[in-house]
Parts: sequence; C-alpha cells; structure tokens
Amino acid sequence: MRVLRRLSQVLVFLVFVFLFLNTEYKDNDVLPYAVNVFLRMDPLVAGAATLAGRAVINLLWPALAVAGITLFFGRFFCGWVCPMGAILDFADASIFRKLKRRVKLPANLPRLKYFILFFLAASSLFTLQMVFLFDPISILIRSLTISIFPGINMAINSLFDALYFTNIHAVTRVSEPVFSFLKNHFLAFEQPQFRLAALVGSIFLLIISAEYFQRRFWCRNLCPLGALLGLLGRFGLTRRRVGDSCISCGKCERDCRMGAIGGDFKSTNASECVECLDCRSICPEKAVHFVGRGRPELLPVNAGRRGVITSLAVGAVAAPIFLSEGYRKVSDPSLIRPPGALSEEKFLDRCTRCGECMRVCTANGLQPALFEAGLSGLWSPILVPRMGYCEFNCTLCGQVCPTGAIKRLSPREKRKTKLGLAEFDRSRCIPWKGESNCIVCEEHCPTPVKAIRLREEQVTTLSGEVIRIKRPYVDENLCVGCGICENKCPLTGHPGIKCTSRGESRAQGAELLTTDEG
Amino acid sequence: MNRRGFLKTTAIAGAGAVIAPSFIEEALAFEGPLVSMAKGTPPARITRAAVDALGGMSAFVRKGDVVVVKPNIGWDRNPAQAADTNPEVVTEVIRMCLDAGARKVKVFDRTCNDARRCYENSGIGPAVEGIKDPRVELSFVDERKYKMVDIPAGKLIRRWPIYEEALNADKFINVPVAKHHSAALLTMGMKNVMGVIGSNRAVLHREINDALPDLNRVIKTSLAIIDATRILVANGPQGGSLKDVRQTKTVIASADVVAADTVAATLFGKTPSEVRYLKLAQDAGLGVADINRIRLKKVSV
Repeated sequence: MRVLRRLSQVLVFLVFVFLFLNTEYKDNDVLPYAVNVFLRMDPLVAGAATLAGRAVINLLWPALAVAGITLFFGRFFCGWVCPMGAILDFADASIFRKLKRRVKLPANLPRLKYFILFFLAASSLFTLQMVFLFDPISILIRSLTISIFPGINMAINSLFDALYFTNIHAVTRVSEPVFSFLKNHFLAFEQPQFRLAALVGSIFLLIISAEYFQRRFWCRNLCPLGALLGLLGRFGLTRRRVGDSCISCGKCERDCRMGAIGGDFKSTNASECVECLDCRSICPEKAVHFVGRGRPELLPVNAGRRGVITSLAVGAVAAPIFLSEGYRKVSDPSLIRPPGALSEEKFLDRCTRCGECMRVCTANGLQPALFEAGLSGLWSPILVPRMGYCEFNCTLCGQVCPTGAIKRLSPREKRKTKLGLAEFDRSRCIPWKGESNCIVCEEHCPTPVKAIRLREEQVTTLSGEVIRIKRPYVDENLCVGCGICENKCPLTGHPGIKCTSRGESRAQGAELLTTDEG
Repeated sequence: MNRRGFLKTTAIAGAGAVIAPSFIEEALAFEGPLVSMAKGTPPARITRAAVDALGGMSAFVRKGDVVVVKPNIGWDRNPAQAADTNPEVVTEVIRMCLDAGARKVKVFDRTCNDARRCYENSGIGPAVEGIKDPRVELSFVDERKYKMVDIPAGKLIRRWPIYEEALNADKFINVPVAKHHSAALLTMGMKNVMGVIGSNRAVLHREINDALPDLNRVIKTSLAIIDATRILVANGPQGGSLKDVRQTKTVIASADVVAADTVAATLFGKTPSEVRYLKLAQDAGLGVADINRIRLKKVSV
C-alpha cells in the first residue's frame, strides 16, 4: 500500500511539473490546460480569498471537493497529493538520508501551524488576506516561477553556451541538438528574470533545509493548509487503528514522519497523520490498519486554547493596522496592475501571490511588488515596463489567475483595458530635448490608431541651429498603458517615456477615459 | 597561393579598381537595373511571375546554395493587417529556392513583439512549417549568433553586430512587406535588413537615412522580392486597422534592392527625393534610385 502512496506522489508531482512548464504561451492564445488547478483545489487559498473577498468564487470549486473528500478520508492530501510534501519527502530520501537527527525540538512546536491558521482566518475575516505568506502551493509555485526555474534555466543555458563557444564541431554537433530539444520541451523561451528572485528562492530553500531538524518540519509545524486539512479530516473513516497483535516495539512511533503516533504506540493524532501508511508497512506483526477492524484511539488536537485565542486576536488586530497603511491612501504611481485586475482592495483580498501570472507573462513584464502596494501587497504582480511590457493581444494572465483577482478578458476587452497611461519626460526624450528624431515609441505603439503621434515642430538647438523635428505626443484617450514605449525607449538609464497607473480602467471614474477603437 | 600568383592577382585587382568605377557607371547609364512588377492574384502566382520576369530563381540560386529568406515577421499582427510579409509570398519564394536546388533555406527575423506570437499570428510560422521539407529551417533568432562587423565606409555606423547566418549565406533573399513608417517614411527592402542586426537597434532610428545605406553595405541583398499584395499606408509599421490597408495586389522583384524599393515607393506616390535613404544609397553606389534609369518590366497575371 505504501507503494501506492509513493506512486501517487510521483504521478501528482509529474502532473504538477507538466502544468508548470505549460504555464506559458505556446502558439495558442488560450491555454489548453487548467494549469492553475493545484491552487484552485487548495482549501486554504479558497477559504481566505472567499472570506477576505466576501465573494463566492466559482473558479475555486475544486477546493470544495478536496475539503469534502478530506472530511471522509482525513489529511491524505499532505501524504498523497501535495507537491510540496513530495519535494520534502524526496529531500529526506536523498539529501537527508544518512542524517541522524539529534536536535530535540519543543513538543509544542506543532501548535504553531494552528496559530498561523487562526491568525489567517481572523485577518481574512477582517479583509486582510495574508495567506500568501504561508500557503504551501502558493509558496511552491511562486518560488519555482521567480527563482528556481529561472536559475535552472540560466545554468543550463550557460552550460550549452559554453559548449557552443568552444567552436569545436565534434562538441557542438552533439550539444546543439540536445540544447534545442531541451529548449523546445523544458527551458524558457527567453531567460525569465525577476526582482526579488534571491529572496523568494531563499525562503523556499529554508523550508527544505528545515528537514535537517525533523522530517516534514514544514508540514508538522508551520503549514496552515496542513492544519486546516487536519482539523477537517479528524473524524474521517480512514484513521489509524492498531490490533491486539501489537507487541509495542515502537518502530512505528520512531518512524512516523509526522510525529502523529502516541507514546503507547496505539493512539494516533488524527489531525497530524497524513496516512502515508509507513507504519502499516513496517509493522512486524501487521497490527496496523487504516480500514476495517478495530477502533481508532485518538489523541487530542495539540493546539492550546490560549494560543488559538491569541492568534485570532492578533489576526483581528493586524487587519486594521495593515489596512491603514499609507500606501492604501495614495497609491504608488508605479503600481501598474495586470490587465483585468480587480480594484486594488478586492485585488489584494484575492491575490495569493502564487506567481502564475508572472510565469505566464509573455514579455516577463509582471514582477513581484516590493512595497509599492504596502507590506500586505508584498509579491503581488505589477507591470515593470522597463523589464517587460504587456503584449497587446495577450490575455494569458487572466486565464491562469486561480482566484479571479485578475479577470479573464476576451482579446477585445483586453485591447481596451487601460493599465495606466504613458507620459513623456521632456527633459530626457531625444526629440523633446531637440537633439534629433527618434520615433521608436511611436513605431511600437500597438493601438490601431496610434496613441503616440508625431508633430513636426521647429526647434532651435543649443548651438543656435534651427531644425525641424518630429516630436511625440500621447493621446490619453487611446493609450492603454501597455508600457511597450517605455520598454523600447532607446535611452539607457531613465526612459524618455514612462507609464504610470494614472487613468487605469479599474480605478473609479476611469470611464471618462475610454477608447472605441478595437 | 604562391608569390607570383599573389602579384598577378594584385595587379589585376589594382587595374580593375582603377577602371571599374567608370566602367560600372557607363554600364548603368545604358543598362539600368531590371525591376519586375507583377500584378494580380493570387499572391503566390504573382510572386513567381515577378521572379520569372528576372529569369527565374535559378538565375539567383545555384544548386547547393545555402539561402536565407528574410521576411518581415516583426509584429504580432494577422496577415490581413499588412504589418508582416504575406505568408503566401514567403512560402512561394521558399519553394522557388528549393526548386532551384538550394541545399538549405533558412527563415528568420528579429521581431519587435514576442517572437512566438509574431511567427504564429503573422501566419508565416505555420505556412513555412507546412512546406514540410527537411531543407527548410525556420528558426527564432539566436542571441549567440551575432558577429561584430566593421563597416569601414560607414557614414554613421562603423561597427555593428550582425546575424552570422545572414552574413554566411550564399544568397540573401530579402522579402519585405512595403509599408508606411514614420521615421523612414517607407519601409521596404533596405529597411528590412534591420531584422538581421543585433544590439540596441532602436538608436539607429535617430539617423535612419544614414543608417540604412550603411547597413546595406555589409548586408548584401542577392534578390529583393517586395510584397505589396496589400500595403499599409498609415499607422505603420505595425498598423492594426484595416482602414489603413490598400489592396495593391503587386509583387516587385529585383537584384538591386535600391531600385526595387524605388519602384515600390511609387505605389505610395513617393519618390527617392522624399524617401531620402534611397537617394543616399544611390550616392553610396549601392544601387539605382533614379526611376528613369530603371528598366521596369510589368507583368499581369
């Protein structure tokens, strides 16, 4: 039976990787797979987004299904499905295989995960959604997107580049076909690069490194999704039960990855047990069962009333503190949200910082925010035009958002959606400074009637020469704030044209600035 | 090569260098470049007719040649929007190259929008893949393959990274779409070579009229085939609105890219005195921009 569980972990992980790799434009305007399904079946994400957003989010029905199954079958998700759990188990079976863990951790450490869960529940209830900090699926996809995958991609590219530049035919004859195979199936089309890559990646590596102290350190002590599923599945049908043939050898207790087995070896903490079935497999007397005969002996939830009440209170207090941040009063002009993003408050209520939109963004323009949206907006997606612009005909970010924080737009709607507006910096722009013609922004402007248009004007140069120059102007009725002008501006350093969120469609009163061209 | 051979070659080359300019000038005066202009439908047929009027593709492509066919795939637009070369023109050019015995036909462009979207939505990607011939190689531009090239006679550009595959090809067939462009006024064959250069090419737009002759000194077009099946007359080079597209149902071809561009400009009612880089290219000896000296062969299909 343990084999089945391992098989399930491997298969689910492969599906996870497949979907991750396919969260990408592949000659198709509509993604053929529900690449975001792992996030959509996450009851923690669903609960927080629903509570904070005060809305029933149809996209999240798979989470309801998982919660329902958990009621009957316990915390199986963590042992059989969760890709983060699979990674940690794999780390144990490889990196930490020979490790003798000597560090004694406090017995109450597992309570932390309940405190985190109740903190998140209370803060979400008061419309502060912080689940992004602790949800394992969001952490995993975000880390892969922002740091792990770009890192691997860069390493492999560097290797094959080095081989390529050896200029030895015998080498490149082999390496180039391999490289192009990898490029076609696994590597990124263009090297993705993200701000904060090192920080986000470090957190992920810390979670793995914590295995040094305990198997499944993260799942046992910190994971609020595990806590939620543990509470839901506590009275499930498939709980561990021990038969009379038990000789109290204690093998199961020593081997349990979750520390779910009591000192008498017979009792089980059902909200900790992930039903990995190891104890059943290793029992020399075959005394352990998960179905059939025997009554499960249950240990109480190790949470602590005082701690739970405190964490609820902290969550409730944190909400108004975060929500009264100055960022929420005057928004940062560089806070350019993806096309179809809900109004800022609703957006942050739902966005779990999973990074799906950043992963799928064709031009690598969507980047994790640092403090543009305040501390509670950490890692939420913003368009950084200098890094990448928003493709005029692309609607992928709205297709992958698991919580509807970014609405799914039709191509027609998308082309009319204003992310903001472009503004010239006349002290930088080449024709505005009176140096010469340029027109690069105008050439790239994607609206059918160009939002950047040129007017020939007479200019006296510094040296007194009178010349005629085509100077660019922004038509704010037509500009959609896609940022391609800022991206392609040939100036190094500060661009001569800059996009800000001013005039964005999702802002109140933005109806005054709409376009009819499409 | 031995010493004697070297001296001999040098002597001949030296003599040639003295005599050639006057010789070429004379030849051009009497015998201007041949430009064919085929009108009609469908695009593939007029493409072939335009090349046939120049003696057929075998006059340009030899058996065993490695040929680069360089369309304009710059924008994420559909074929009707006339921002990219008509896919039917591109595939017909490739087929003619294959028929002429090309060993390899390479197709690529450095795009402005996301390359995958441009290749797909311009229709050129699927159409070229549809040829299903192992000699045809459609690829995205590979950043590693730019090579720094000196342009000693360059007026504006003295050095620039240029795509190796374009430089190393036996024949470079330039297949642009003719359209409006606010800096160059019109973008056709001479401007299309900007798709095989590296680095921050946007800075070149400041002095585009000097930049284009310089680039065309080192990126030599063996045959220009200009797609004017439909042309973009405003809001170029990207367009997007069918209101700016005119159905001109024309393909223009010539071994002289300057001459081909000069003829294509007439479709927009423009002359080389307006499209200044054409005049400057002629001054630089790159081709003929004088419509009276061009031998125009019109074909109707």
